[in-house]
Amino acid sequence: MIDRRLLTHFDWMLFCVTAALCVVGLAAVYSAIYVKSPAIYKKEIYWLLIGLSLMLTAVFINYSLLERFAYVIYGASILSLVAVFAIGRSASGAKRWISLGFFTIQPSEFAKLALIVVLARYFSARNMPERGMGLKDLAIPALFLLVPFLMIAKQPDLGTGIILCMIFGSMALIVKIRFRVIAGLVVAFAVAAPFAWKALKAYQKARLMSFLDPAMDIRGTGYHIMQSKIAIGSGGMFGKGFTKGTQGKLMFLPEHHTDFIFSAFAEEWGAIGSLVVISLFLGLVLGGLSASNTSKDRFGFLLSFGITAMIFWHVTINMGMVSGLLPVVGVPLPLISYGGSFLITTMIAVGLLINIRMRRFMF
Amino acid sequence: MKGAKKEGGFSKGRVWLVVSVFVLLFSAVLYKAFSLQVLDQRGLKKMALNQHNKTLNVQSKRGAIYDRNLKELAVSIEVDSVYAEPSKMDAPKAAVRSLSRILSVDNRELEKRLGSSRNFVWLKRQVDLKEEERQKVTGIEGVGVRKESRRYYPNKQLASNLIGFTGVDANGLEGVELYYDGLLKGSSTRITGEKDALGRTLIFEDSGKKVPIGGMEVELTIDKTIQYHAERSLKKAIESSGAKGGTAVVMNPATGEVLAMASLPTFDPNDIKGYAPRQWKNKPIADTFEPGSVLKLFLISAAIEENAISPGELFFCENGKYKVADRTFHDIKGYGWLSAVQIIKYSSNIGSAKIGERLGKARLYRYLKSFGFGEKTGIDLPGETAGAFRHFKGWSGVTLQTVSFGQGISVTAIQLASALSTVANGGFLMKPYVVKAVRDLGGNAVNETNPVIVRRVISEKTAKRMTEMLIGVTETGGTGTRAKIDGFEVAGKTGTAQKADLKNGGYHESAYTATFMGFVPARSPKLAIVVVLDEPKGEHHGGVVSAPAFKEIAQASLAYMGIFPDLPGGAVNPAVKAGSESGTKAGVVASELESVLPEKGVPDFTGKTVRNVIKIAKEKSLDVNVTGSGKAVLQKPGPGKAVPADGRVAVWFQ
Repeated sequence: MIDRRLLTHFDWMLFCVTAALCVVGLAAVYSAIYVKSPAIYKKEIYWLLIGLSLMLTAVFINYSLLERFAYVIYGASILSLVAVFAIGRSASGAKRWISLGFFTIQPSEFAKLALIVVLARYFSARNMPERGMGLKDLAIPALFLLVPFLMIAKQPDLGTGIILCMIFGSMALIVKIRFRVIAGLVVAFAVAAPFAWKALKAYQKARLMSFLDPAMDIRGTGYHIMQSKIAIGSGGMFGKGFTKGTQGKLMFLPEHHTDFIFSAFAEEWGAIGSLVVISLFLGLVLGGLSASNTSKDRFGFLLSFGITAMIFWHVTINMGMVSGLLPVVGVPLPLISYGGSFLITTMIAVGLLINIRMRRFMF
Repeated sequence: MKGAKKEGGFSKGRVWLVVSVFVLLFSAVLYKAFSLQVLDQRGLKKMALNQHNKTLNVQSKRGAIYDRNLKELAVSIEVDSVYAEPSKMDAPKAAVRSLSRILSVDNRELEKRLGSSRNFVWLKRQVDLKEEERQKVTGIEGVGVRKESRRYYPNKQLASNLIGFTGVDANGLEGVELYYDGLLKGSSTRITGEKDALGRTLIFEDSGKKVPIGGMEVELTIDKTIQYHAERSLKKAIESSGAKGGTAVVMNPATGEVLAMASLPTFDPNDIKGYAPRQWKNKPIADTFEPGSVLKLFLISAAIEENAISPGELFFCENGKYKVADRTFHDIKGYGWLSAVQIIKYSSNIGSAKIGERLGKARLYRYLKSFGFGEKTGIDLPGETAGAFRHFKGWSGVTLQTVSFGQGISVTAIQLASALSTVANGGFLMKPYVVKAVRDLGGNAVNETNPVIVRRVISEKTAKRMTEMLIGVTETGGTGTRAKIDGFEVAGKTGTAQKADLKNGGYHESAYTATFMGFVPARSPKLAIVVVLDEPKGEHHGGVVSAPAFKEIAQASLAYMGIFPDLPGGAVNPAVKAGSESGTKAGVVASELESVLPEKGVPDFTGKTVRNVIKIAKEKSLDVNVTGSGKAVLQKPGPGKAVPADGRVAVWFQ
């Protein structure tokens, strides 16, 4: 199965960029956490090792296997989400985790990948109309989205839900949707928005409000955003130095090892560090798009595009949120935020990108 | 392969559109980060610093206060204070059990404190822990011991009104503690630490800590023993007379050094909350009163100095009733013709008024001012008052007469003490002071107080004549006989004044200020003492209620200072007392006494005991070579001969 010819096409650029981001992530998590709970970054190393082995597996299996088992994978993912409701573990008011003894996993992270696989399979299996998909064409894919979305929104996990929508939207758009449909959806969204607002939980509303005016209530809901801005800004051009950050360690900056890790990183490494990390992500995303662009089949194209979209939206929403461009929704930064399930998901995803890119000449 | 690009309606060319969208959005994020980190960094850095920087004022240890013999009067001690951080405790119940035993705090009280939602609670402040107790306490998770500095006054109320006390932040609030606060306090250093979002302070090792310079030590002129005697005798006098309060000041008349300053009621500075603020007051410098007859001695001094009266001149005392303008002045007894000496001795108001008339308003005013009345003495203590003494141009018809016997003027005890010292030391008004030296921790004097002559008020001759008159006061027939000390001549003056009624004007019918002041030994004074009793009940004459306190203080202090009467029950040979220990003023006193010496050179030891010879020799700074025992029979050099250069005198006894 593993052909020597494959290795000649191994995308070292993608691999190296990923490895670099993992190193940055490990350092950032260490710096954020070593004072308070030094045991955690050791766990992060285990996650990295597991992730690396799964990533290599993802590189070397033929991705057409995923096409064949797409619905199985999707079904398994939905089952695991059901399991969260049944035997899930709660933390800070949300039920998102399943305990597997030594560690806990977060099935919603893997659901992202499952959605990408099932959509890639669905869209590639059909001949789509030349002028773009109509509402009827979108009905089944929308169902694929809706089932995990509702379950995840119920946990509740708004951030992951939004990411699922972004993945769906990106993939549907690249397949092509009729202009009328897009326009219609925009209008429908505008109409539905007030009702959706009512459906939001109080903390979600508060987050949106504080996004609009973070200085309004620095001690309350605007606290996250303001603290994040303070951390990033106080890093200045060159940063305070590795492990010399204060805002995170002194607990002013909440979630400084998970969702807000970029702020803690930017505080220590300054504008230079931010530039390096953003460039690495740009490299990763462009590498992903290049894998799409050169893929040998439609499934590979859609799979790699979906993966790239997932990474892209994660990075954009996370950084937009910590820098105050976007409201605070709990979206982690790929490969850098602490959290095993998402780290593994991302590494498998990158493995698939390398896989697709590697097999672009293989028929 | 390339054919795959156009397959199933997928336009891979759109990927380029996506690329540009992606790059655009990334650029937005990058720009935002750039604007935060480069454009807004200054403001945000400041906000960060404000959040986590915490400056602590680390105060150096406060300097101690000593008496003139370096006995501790106020010290700063390090004590343990036990605190807990309830959120860090793993076994609070077990902790309560062992802590309540060690700290002797009630179980329930401890549980209440540990149940607090705060991160930091004091369990017990300022406890004395033994080493093993400290180890046990710090061994409990979430419990710790901090060193705190506490001011401690080992002598409790002794001299407390003078020393004052400090507040919780070790700031001097009263007395010497306040006046010399800047020196006692030492420097403080601001240590910048970091605090976390929960407000806990974390001081990092690398924040360059400078150890602040320790507070200076202050050495008072106060003598703890004399202070003790002054307070004890004053207390006794107050108790036996039923007075509201009182003051006693003991001064070295030659220098203005205050040896004791007692003020009653008093307080324990270790527990200031247990006392009312009026008890903190240092009455000798803060309370003013009408002095009454004690002022007469300054009147007569002025009259003698100005030659307004001639020696032996007699004044008609109107047989006890003297009408001036609309007022009639009285004496206790009706006197006929009295000399100035007798006017002082019997304390005749009418005689004094007549001498005041002779002196005139301007001169009386000038002299009393010159003696320091109506002005702060400038003593190094906070809260001194000047007293009320109106300019003579504002005097009414009888003010000249009333001031002459001490009414219509108010003074402080410290003013009386320094004015009295002027007479005692031969005419110099000395500035009173309570701090002898300020030393740094190395023992080097940073500030040494030297006696300050404010001015010469009267001549030596006048002072001597005054002294003679004042000795008469304590001798048979005088008003101050109760101040007489066996073996010493005492110069003194009594005073009994009705207290002014500040509410209704005029004078209280039965509220008096009873004063006795004097110096001893009269012809070579070592101590000038003022005793004032406020509102003694029943018997209220200064000569009766205050004089005994004076006597007790003087007697105990003389014995303590090693000043003994030389001739049992008789007059002291003044030459013996000449060698004053004090600085600049000693010369004045000595030279004054020198002139009355009957003999110069080596004294005549013939017939004296060994003990007496040694004592006399010591006081004359002679080095005696004793041979034999019994009474002196031979000496070399002989009596009256010049003292040899090395001061050696040989005396043979049989």
